[in-house]
Amino acid sequence: MSEFFTRMGDGAGVYMTAEEIREDILKGVKDAADRGKVPELTQEEMDYLYQIITMPGNIVGVERGREVVSTSDSGSCKITYHANIAMERSMAVLVSEKVLGADSVDIGNMDYSYKAVKQIVHNETPVMELAQLNAVMPVLYGSMPNLGLYTKPDGPVENWSELLPLAKISEARAAQEEAVEHAVRDIVFVAGEMYEAGADGINLDTCGASGDADFLAGLLATEKIKEKYPDLGVEFGAAGEFVLGMHGKLEYDGTKIAGLYPHKQVKLAEKAGANIFGAVVNTNTNMSFPWNIARTVTFLKACTAVATIPVHVNVGMGVGGIPMSEIPPIDVVTRADKALIEIGKADGL
Amino acid sequence: MSVESIIEAAKQSIIDIDEEKAASVARQALEEGLNPVQVLTEGYSAGIREVGELFSRGEVFLPELILSAEAMKAATEILESAITGAAAEKIGKMIFATVEGDVHDIGKSIAIALIQTQGVEVIDLGRDVPVDKIIEAAEEHGARVIGTSALLTTTMPNQEKLEKALRERGLRDKYKTIIGGAPCTQRWADKIGADAYAEDAGEGVTKVLELMKA
Amino acid sequence: MAHAVSSCMSGIRTAGDLVLRMQLAKSMKIDAAKQYVADKLGVKPIDLSDSDLMAEIRAKHGFGRSFDLNKSPKGIEAKFNIARKLGIKINSVELFMARAGLNKGGA
Repeated sequence: MSEFFTRMGDGAGVYMTAEEIREDILKGVKDAADRGKVPELTQEEMDYLYQIITMPGNIVGVERGREVVSTSDSGSCKITYHANIAMERSMAVLVSEKVLGADSVDIGNMDYSYKAVKQIVHNETPVMELAQLNAVMPVLYGSMPNLGLYTKPDGPVENWSELLPLAKISEARAAQEEAVEHAVRDIVFVAGEMYEAGADGINLDTCGASGDADFLAGLLATEKIKEKYPDLGVEFGAAGEFVLGMHGKLEYDGTKIAGLYPHKQVKLAEKAGANIFGAVVNTNTNMSFPWNIARTVTFLKACTAVATIPVHVNVGMGVGGIPMSEIPPIDVVTRADKALIEIGKADGL
Repeated sequence: MSVESIIEAAKQSIIDIDEEKAASVARQALEEGLNPVQVLTEGYSAGIREVGELFSRGEVFLPELILSAEAMKAATEILESAITGAAAEKIGKMIFATVEGDVHDIGKSIAIALIQTQGVEVIDLGRDVPVDKIIEAAEEHGARVIGTSALLTTTMPNQEKLEKALRERGLRDKYKTIIGGAPCTQRWADKIGADAYAEDAGEGVTKVLELMKA
Repeated sequence: MAHAVSSCMSGIRTAGDLVLRMQLAKSMKIDAAKQYVADKLGVKPIDLSDSDLMAEIRAKHGFGRSFDLNKSPKGIEAKFNIARKLGIKINSVELFMARAGLNKGGA
């Protein structure tokens, strides 16, 4: 029986039979449909996904004309900080534009949180100004709401991670609500500074990383940014496939935020005024690539079907069907892209 | 009430986050002479596992999970008073830490909340904990199991460092180790020589109980 | 890089930057954004990903290219031309005009 090379969710190579791949595709689709209460992929779509997974060739690509555009999270600082190449960030923007073929990039600080950035924003804006003079493509500024940073001892509010295990639920909820106000103020402040530095957009990255209050902070900040700076683009990126209920009762526009999956998250982002929604589906390291990508595409297809704004699916390490490995293998990365665009109807990556 | 209906009521009280009901069902179980261990394992524990599953699907949120654990604690205290002999003792002690360099502790807190409901005394060392401190705490508290969590591929190597440090100090056979966190897998556990891997909090409960008995 | 090669428009090598501008400015989904840009440039949407054709078009309109042509618009200069052709405001262009004391230009 012939076997195909693919990978597990942690990046490890594995050989699977056609039957095993088809079985994992079906299980992944059903898992997403069950959890998100969204439609399953059709048999035709699952057959095409099987084809993508088993296509010969180390890498695959989308059909001509189906190419999408890319945004990033802290794209320019990855050269400077992650690859540790001593390159000023506005120069890294140009490398991304002229060498790496990026459609856009966002400048971010190594301390990738709005709370941290507000202290040094006067040193961040000149980087944006210089980038804007020299770059042609859109350049955004990105950071995370990172609500956890507002808790003691790093911030002013009580630490709900300590209060919750003590069953001090109301105190934990009050602390989160207070942190939202601080975060919104900081995000809008940084956005304003970046707008005046010429930024094309602001990237609210990984909204919901600290739970539903974190997600709410992103939504409220988006609202205020669009009110004050209507020309500033806002990309609202989610943190996970469902919003973790650290608070559990917060609502936006009459909708409870905790537990929302991408197809419902995007509607709140739209309502807040975001221009682009960054969808996230988590990769399970213990499951195969066929299972993970089938699951991701199912969630994504439901999301893009209802979205009226463009959806850029996050295809970084450990999300979007991409394995959780430091160097995501190109064979499955390109297969994930193709499936997300051609079946999931992503508007961007 | 039949045994089955009391056990079902115990389970449902946890799912409904009804602390009063959990306690009254526990008292009723004792009055009717039911085996408290059976009520605990088949009723309340089953309930908390179901809540854990609902949490992992985004259908139940952290405050509810915590309150469910509180309800379970209330019932457990009543039942434990009736359990005599060895069964009344805590099953054993466990050290739990997020490894050095890693500040993520939501998953760890959830795992601890569930494991504690099963009679395991968990010493939570918090997050960003160096290997030396983990071993010192295990020695100091006479722990049987050491659990570590890592959410980053860059901090996972500290789980391997713990295994090496235990071997170098001649302590490896004294403890059972269990690892968890999003990037971890059974393959990683096998590679570094950890005794167990748990994919989520629910599996963590089962695996820790197995390690305690081993 | 893998994404750019296998699935994305590759920025200023083609018309990726222009399409993304329409997503950011007008919340256009991918097909609508491509159609809008294609109409403005007088090409078909599929042509927008053709690096050979787009090199010519970018040179013609002064949109900036990855391999800069001698004496051709670069950076902010290219964005003046992009804003005018696409009929959108580009924040840095507006800012440039304000700071340089120009009361009209780009968009």
